[in-house]
Amino acid sequence: MAADDELAHFQKLSNDYEPPATGPLVGERQSSSAIATEYEAADPVYRIKTAALPDTYAYFRTCRGDGHCGWRAIAFTYFETLLRIGDVNRLEDEEVRLSSMHNLLNLAGFSQHVYIDWVEEAFDLLRKLANSLRAMDGSGPDILLQTFNDMSTAMAIITYFKLLASAWIQSHPDDFAAFCHMDLKSYCQLNIEAAQCEIDNVAVVALAESVVKPAGIGLEIMYLDRSPGEEINNTYRAEPTDHTGLPLSHPPMMRLLYRPGHYDILYKAEDFPAPVQYSQPTQSSLHVALAGYTDDFVPTASNMSDVMTMIPGMYPTGLGQRWPSVSYDHYPSPAPQPQLAPVQTYAPTPTPAVSVAPIAPVTSSHQDYVSPIHASHGNHHSIHLEPPVTLPIHPPPSAPPMIMERTPSMAAERGGPFRPSVYELEPGFGSGPRHALPFQTSIFRNSHFNTAHFLNPDFQPEEWSPDSEYATGNRGRHKSTSQ
Amino acid sequence: MALSSNTRANGGGSSATVAQRLQKELMDIMMSPTPGITAFPDDENMSQWTATIEGPTETPYAALTFKLSMEFAANYPYAPPRVLFKTPIYHPNVDFSGRICLDILKDKWSAIYNINSVLLSLQSLLGEPNNSSPLNAQAAELWDSDQAAFKQHVLARHKTPEELDA
Repeated sequence: MAADDELAHFQKLSNDYEPPATGPLVGERQSSSAIATEYEAADPVYRIKTAALPDTYAYFRTCRGDGHCGWRAIAFTYFETLLRIGDVNRLEDEEVRLSSMHNLLNLAGFSQHVYIDWVEEAFDLLRKLANSLRAMDGSGPDILLQTFNDMSTAMAIITYFKLLASAWIQSHPDDFAAFCHMDLKSYCQLNIEAAQCEIDNVAVVALAESVVKPAGIGLEIMYLDRSPGEEINNTYRAEPTDHTGLPLSHPPMMRLLYRPGHYDILYKAEDFPAPVQYSQPTQSSLHVALAGYTDDFVPTASNMSDVMTMIPGMYPTGLGQRWPSVSYDHYPSPAPQPQLAPVQTYAPTPTPAVSVAPIAPVTSSHQDYVSPIHASHGNHHSIHLEPPVTLPIHPPPSAPPMIMERTPSMAAERGGPFRPSVYELEPGFGSGPRHALPFQTSIFRNSHFNTAHFLNPDFQPEEWSPDSEYATGNRGRHKSTSQ
Repeated sequence: MALSSNTRANGGGSSATVAQRLQKELMDIMMSPTPGITAFPDDENMSQWTATIEGPTETPYAALTFKLSMEFAANYPYAPPRVLFKTPIYHPNVDFSGRICLDILKDKWSAIYNINSVLLSLQSLLGEPNNSSPLNAQAAELWDSDQAAFKQHVLARHKTPEELDA
């Protein structure tokens, strides 16, 4: 008898045991192949499913399994998706919309006095994200990650989301009563409002309906378990609708990975613009090739070019001008090209002897392109001792990545401040899907090298083009399915 | 609200948030006291409180006052406070060292509860013990079988605050 009691006691202890949760509350985004690695030693079903995972879902993010992970995953991705949409107005609209749901909370019997602190934390985050978008300083993702890794702020936001779910369920008895098997008030107190309760399906649906979908965002939950199959199962999908009730096409999606008892966050590759260092120079540089340029081109007017590289602000654009140094940049490998040798000539080593004579005629013929600061010919001696502007970033509006992936030495060899003119581009250039400007650093974005800067000679305000955005998205999807 | 956003801007950590929340609760308790219930922090760091509840009328605890200690962790209100009866009490759901078995102080705790709602729940627990999961099995049995004898035990065990301090 005593032994039985003891066994029962141990069984209970064992059942109640929860390993201490470790890791950050919300982790950094990482390649989802890490999941496959994690399951390498697991049984075949898991192995097959996780091996197929990175093809469709390129990235994932962990949430600490402390009993709040599902709530945390939804709350985090909600803010992250809003940030990804990148529309300040949308963030502001969300604050207004969520404020309008205070009535719902009051109706469910929550006192505004109690929940307002949690609401403020959530709104605070929305405002910070909006400010970072406005400043275009790229700090949004860091702010978000920090906020969700601060236990007290994160719990405040999670608690707010719990109350929203609870209030939503209680105000929609027809939708939820059948799933709750008790009166909704007690159900919510037990399974939703309780400080320590993992999110259940009812709450997921409630949050999708109350918070996610009205924000114009979709929610998908992928299920990874030992059920037969070769891919993880899509167990839940909520799609936002417009005011007429029709589903929005290509809504931004939030994706969660559910493993029994735990939620993490999944992403498709297309959810994020490829980081600059991943861009493939071979592909993109094709767009910059000059019309009529051939591989066997041998520079003839080398002296001339040399001089030009010395003059800051010089933009030789005549149709006859050829700048072989430009083309070198587009060989990602140092493959031996016959004309590589003269590259030294174009290197920014100042050779004053040559530079003096031809300058005046050249500059005068290109005065349009000489920026005021460099207009004085008299002091070119002092100027040309400095290396020419190494990153003559004047990309035409659609310029593919051409600078960032270069090594510094390559960039220096680029020599003169070359600015391609649209007239020199190959026919058809730019007709392909437009790329977002790849220059993501705040230094670039805020400088006049950015064509979106009003001081840029090629000033062109940034435009959002739905076609190209979705076209890029489709391309990504296409690629991933074909693999 | 203005107060709370100011303190947040000053970069308060989580314990600052707890103090803030408890400050607010103290304010509420002072502004609109609930009859039969008192609560006050022991010192300025707010993490320890002393509370009293009066036994509900028409229960064996009528006219008795019970002292409790409340301890708030750094993750309050996302974790329940630790509440103990300081006054010895004879009750099915309280053991002899004053520990309490009440669901909302354990797994059913929710961040929307506060000091006031905890004390109100404890007050109603006095009149309606949960005899299905007793800490004091004898008391649970006696509650169901013999209310008069139960009251005897309650009175015998009880000490007034003055006796307690002495």
